[in-house]
Amino acid sequence: MRARIALVGLIVLAVAAAGCGAGGDTPSILDKDELVIGVKPDQPGLGLKKRNGVYEGFDVDVAKEVVKRLPGQRRRVRFVDAPSSERERLLRERKVDLVVASYSITPKRKTMVGFAGPYYVAHQDILVRQNVTGITNVRDLRGRVLCNVEGSNSVARVVEELEIAANLVPAASYSECIEKLKTGSVEAVSTDDLILAGFAAAEAGRFKFVNRPFTDERYGIGIHQDDIDGCEAVNKAITQMYQEGTAKTLLDRWFGKTDLSYTTTVPEFEGCG
Amino acid sequence: MTTSVLPSPPAAPSAPPPATAPQAGPPARPDPPRRLRLRTVPGRIRAWTAAAVVALLALFGLATMAISDARAGLDVLGEHGAGRQVVTTANLYYALSDMDTQVANLLLIGGERLGGVREEAEKRYEQSRAQASEALLQAARLADDETERETVRSLLTKLGEYERLAERARQLNEQDGHTAGRPENPEVLRQYREATELMRLELLPQAYNATLDSGVLVRRTYEEQHAAVQTGRLAVAAAGLATLVALVGLQVYLAHRFRRILNPALLAATVVVTVLVGLVMGLLDREAANLRTAKQDGFDSVLALKRAQAISNSLHGDQSRYLLDPDAADTYEQVYLDKSQRVLHTDAGNLKKYYASLRTVRREYPGKVTFLGLLGDEANNARTKTHRDALAETLRRYEAFQQTDERLRRMNPSNQSNQSNQPQVNQTADPSQVTQSQTGRPRPDLSQVVRFRMADVAKAFDEYDKSLMGLADSHERTLRAAIKNGEDALGGWDYRLPAAILAAAVLIFVGVRPRLQEYR
Repeated sequence: MRARIALVGLIVLAVAAAGCGAGGDTPSILDKDELVIGVKPDQPGLGLKKRNGVYEGFDVDVAKEVVKRLPGQRRRVRFVDAPSSERERLLRERKVDLVVASYSITPKRKTMVGFAGPYYVAHQDILVRQNVTGITNVRDLRGRVLCNVEGSNSVARVVEELEIAANLVPAASYSECIEKLKTGSVEAVSTDDLILAGFAAAEAGRFKFVNRPFTDERYGIGIHQDDIDGCEAVNKAITQMYQEGTAKTLLDRWFGKTDLSYTTTVPEFEGCG
Repeated sequence: MTTSVLPSPPAAPSAPPPATAPQAGPPARPDPPRRLRLRTVPGRIRAWTAAAVVALLALFGLATMAISDARAGLDVLGEHGAGRQVVTTANLYYALSDMDTQVANLLLIGGERLGGVREEAEKRYEQSRAQASEALLQAARLADDETERETVRSLLTKLGEYERLAERARQLNEQDGHTAGRPENPEVLRQYREATELMRLELLPQAYNATLDSGVLVRRTYEEQHAAVQTGRLAVAAAGLATLVALVGLQVYLAHRFRRILNPALLAATVVVTVLVGLVMGLLDREAANLRTAKQDGFDSVLALKRAQAISNSLHGDQSRYLLDPDAADTYEQVYLDKSQRVLHTDAGNLKKYYASLRTVRREYPGKVTFLGLLGDEANNARTKTHRDALAETLRRYEAFQQTDERLRRMNPSNQSNQSNQPQVNQTADPSQVTQSQTGRPRPDLSQVVRFRMADVAKAFDEYDKSLMGLADSHERTLRAAIKNGEDALGGWDYRLPAAILAAAVLIFVGVRPRLQEYR
């Protein structure tokens, strides 16, 4: 009797082992019916949580369009706040499935999380009042009053890396900088063009872009480091989004009212894994 | 497969194996044919024999499958597989960015020859164009869905557009016939800006993504085959064990029934199966290891280094564009730094700090790896001394190249960031070409900077490029060796496996037949 059980067991084991070789054991976003997506709650034009709790912005729309194009079943999407300092932790602990939050791909972050995309390459640029003349590139900031947000390295790039002597006026946030620009207490604000465009779109006609980008900020879609299948599927979805013209539609919708010249062709991907 | 299991007789010394159950038929059937009845001695012998043969056939099937999985894995990464084609498509980015670099160089060189530098640039432009077409063809072959095909289609169209723009810029430049430096006709630069923009924003990203796409195919196939070989190994072990259990069971039953100590033929069959299973498991173990080496130490590194080479070539082109287009010089300088950081990342926020950080990187390697980026990945992958030595050489050459970049930027007369603090340039320059800078120190004019770019900088870059290629080659050799080891190990198994299985089957038959004949 025992021998028979052993034999049955062995044959079943052998067949089972041979049959299910291909199944992976790392969890992937592709296996889920609902995806939790981390976005910014306070960045107009990119990710903004409205009073009724609904999120809106370019990042939010990109997330929806990407999820729509993932292979397999239709998936629900739930948005949550992803504050800048929390993004890596949220992904690593699988508290969120994706992060779409003007999240620049950097080699250091890549040691902690995976990145699909970039879905857009933003550039540092300069926003000035509509009637200002004489600022046509970053060098013209010499001697001008530039808004300096604490903890942001955009100004450091101008003042320290490019060694341009601008006069700095401190502010707590970029929305405060925009207020200061409106009232005239600063002459220029410089950071990622999409962030500036998000503010400027709300105040159409008041500001203008210098349109001389001087850095590349590769906005990626954060994903768990082990989910390579998921990352590759997101890349394919981004490619389709550009090929079908949806990316252009979204850029037009959120930033079309500004004079920012944005790129509507697919960016160079980082590569998964 | 074991749905209709017969109730075993309570007093049976050893139970009949279930593998024969389907042959036994439902128990309710009245008076089954004599030879199938399990309660008789020959019936039980037949049942054990059938179990042994079924398990043996399962072993054969599973081993064949696992071996063919290993072969498929090796084929993908081998000489004629998709892996090879992926490496070819990786050349696409290089070829495209080289075309743009050569155009920028030609515009800087103008009507001069610079001792053959112009002919060289013209030749390289044509070569790169041919290489790009070849790589595009490969990419088209590898594109396995509509999205990827669309990428290739778009690349073909845009490449045609780029060539037209570049051709126009070159024609205008030739009419211009300026000395080494910037073209005098502003239309030349306007045309080139359009061309290089198309290259930077549309062609290069899609070319890079096409390479990534075809890499996905190889990664998936590899992972599937690697996993299949490993589960195949377990399955072979299980089937082997099942065969052995059946053979031993048969042996024990015969010994018990016929009062003989050993059945030599069955013993021989047992030995054959044991040795076979041991060998196949060892083989599959080695094949899994060979596949892993070929993929991780070979293919992945080769591909990453090809990318590093392509990005490096493109940043080398940014040096020319930085000189060619003073309005966009800041952007090109920043782009140059960004690309350098993708090749080898340190914490440096600007070029000056970056140059300095490379010194530390080079000094600390291989004791300490503090850098990231493509070469950082390579530092983590380089496990053998050959690879580490080759990487150390690459780091040295990279630093030397970046030092020439530092000099180039200091020399550039329109460099705005060091209007003051201008260091002396050690150029044996024609004094007539030296202009006074605002600080009153002699500053070489643009034509000298262009000469420096085409000679010293280009030479340092070529040396770095060669060392990078050497590093890629050393991984290429690892890849080839692993594939060869894998293929050599597989050689002979096409007949060895069926022969061993057949031998075992014959031995079982020879062992059992005389016993069955006693019942005729």
